[in-house]
Amino acid sequence: MRVLGIETTCDETAAAVVGLAGDGRGAILSNEILSQITEHAAYGGVVPEIAARAHVEVVDRLVARALKAADVSLKDIDAVAAAAGPGLIGGVIVGLTTGKALSLVSGKPFIAVNHLEAHALTARMTDGVAFPYLLLLASGGHTQLLAVRGVGDYVRLGTTIDDAIGEAFDKTAKTLGLPYPGGPEVERQALQGDPTRFALPRPLVGRPDPDFSLSGLKTAVRIEAERIAPLSARDVADLCASFQAAVVDVVADRVRMGLRAFRQKAGHPTALVVAGGVAANQAIRRGLTRLASEAGLPLVTPPPALCTDNGAMIAWAGLERLRLGLTDDLTAPARARWPLEAASAA
Amino acid sequence: MRVLGIDTALGACSACVLDGSTVVAEETLVLDRGHAEALLPLIERVMAAVPGGFESLDRVAVTVGPGSFTGLRVGISAARAIGLAAGVPVVGVTTLSAFLAPLVAAGGNRLNAAAIDARHGHLYFQCIAAGGRTIVPARHVSVRDAARVIGSGPMTIAGSGAAILGNELRNLGVDAKIADAEIAPHIAWVARLGMAADPATALPKPVYLRAPDAKPQEHMRIPRR
Repeated sequence: MRVLGIETTCDETAAAVVGLAGDGRGAILSNEILSQITEHAAYGGVVPEIAARAHVEVVDRLVARALKAADVSLKDIDAVAAAAGPGLIGGVIVGLTTGKALSLVSGKPFIAVNHLEAHALTARMTDGVAFPYLLLLASGGHTQLLAVRGVGDYVRLGTTIDDAIGEAFDKTAKTLGLPYPGGPEVERQALQGDPTRFALPRPLVGRPDPDFSLSGLKTAVRIEAERIAPLSARDVADLCASFQAAVVDVVADRVRMGLRAFRQKAGHPTALVVAGGVAANQAIRRGLTRLASEAGLPLVTPPPALCTDNGAMIAWAGLERLRLGLTDDLTAPARARWPLEAASAA
Repeated sequence: MRVLGIDTALGACSACVLDGSTVVAEETLVLDRGHAEALLPLIERVMAAVPGGFESLDRVAVTVGPGSFTGLRVGISAARAIGLAAGVPVVGVTTLSAFLAPLVAAGGNRLNAAAIDARHGHLYFQCIAAGGRTIVPARHVSVRDAARVIGSGPMTIAGSGAAILGNELRNLGVDAKIADAEIAPHIAWVARLGMAADPATALPKPVYLRAPDAKPQEHMRIPRR
């Protein structure tokens, strides 16, 4: 069983072919990606129209490359999957339309994949994690705690009530004049900084509901920075370290509450899984490793290239759905918003 | 030669298959939005009426704009993916040239113009002389400037902006005739122009004629020493 996956929901154009390995995990036969970081750098964030323009120029070439690298043709695959949202609608439409057209001409089934579901199922492709598990999905656009009970069976335990974690990193970087994308840059600066110099808030810590709030923390960084401006290199490093330390504390506390909520609603998790670009942050990973070992759970973090947006996760989610007979027709809509619970209905 | 023509750049969602000079199958939906959902089912219906299906195609032709940014990307994404899957070349046809083609084919010695309503008092506009010489190349321009740049006419106008431009021209005393105020070009003309196009130069890439609405942000940054 082999599925072609296409991803265009944000600023990466990606295509991949994924098969099924003997042990039930995914076999990534190819995973091609083209990032638009340079196109958006001047704007300090992803500009939707620029992203859509970039996707349409390259997505067919990425598909051709993915098929070639996997040494297959469209005849050899069993289905075409494309991310149908949630995301920037102009880009989503490009990948979705491409996937539908490939499906129509090749006669292979089409699967409209929820981008969040693809992140949620990645740990099954990489590590063969069994249901149910607790997932922290944290990226520039999303911050959610989910009970993953099965394909298409998700319970959202908590979410951010304002900014996503990655968004808070990126905005903090912007405030401090660090280059785009800001997340990795804040982490690099934090390595040289003093995490205790600035007393920053830990929003919602201690609250029983496992939700997140990052916007007050982001604002606190700005207020401190404005107070001591102009900023020296030392100041920037210390602000980054203090900010990151606050995020690590918030994440650990929120995930702890998430585990508690999970046990109430979904029984015993087999693992704590972290996905999304924020999972690449080493300090957050260390915090979660500690928490998982306290809870007696394995911590599963897919490799960074599979945590950030990619085509393999779309192909894998397509494969999981195909196995259950969950295919879509050519009228499947592109969706800017598409909560994961709604993916269950399909 | 057998060509699949596709247009979603403006207020319609259309496809047709042209074989030589015969339209084998054709469907057009008038559609303001929802092209992304409507197009592939529409192509499926059109191709179902074509003996030999996708394998019998020699080429795909698609409108590349100017028009709705999202709309033209729907058509181009579909066309390029069909080209990839069917192993045939894909050519781009501008919406303006597809509006102009029937005027040129009709002959006469008037100026011919295509005007597409780009809203906010603007047009996507192109003007050619009777012999085919370009008078005004494709551009995004205000209605007033389009009328001024044309001169004295007489002229024939096609496209969704034809009525707006026609009014402006008549106010200036120019002899302006509206040939066709359709919201989208006729799909058979898209396929015909695609058949004649050179795949090496008529690339299936968007023609936006307008930059994205985005400005670099610097105001949030705190000063550094």
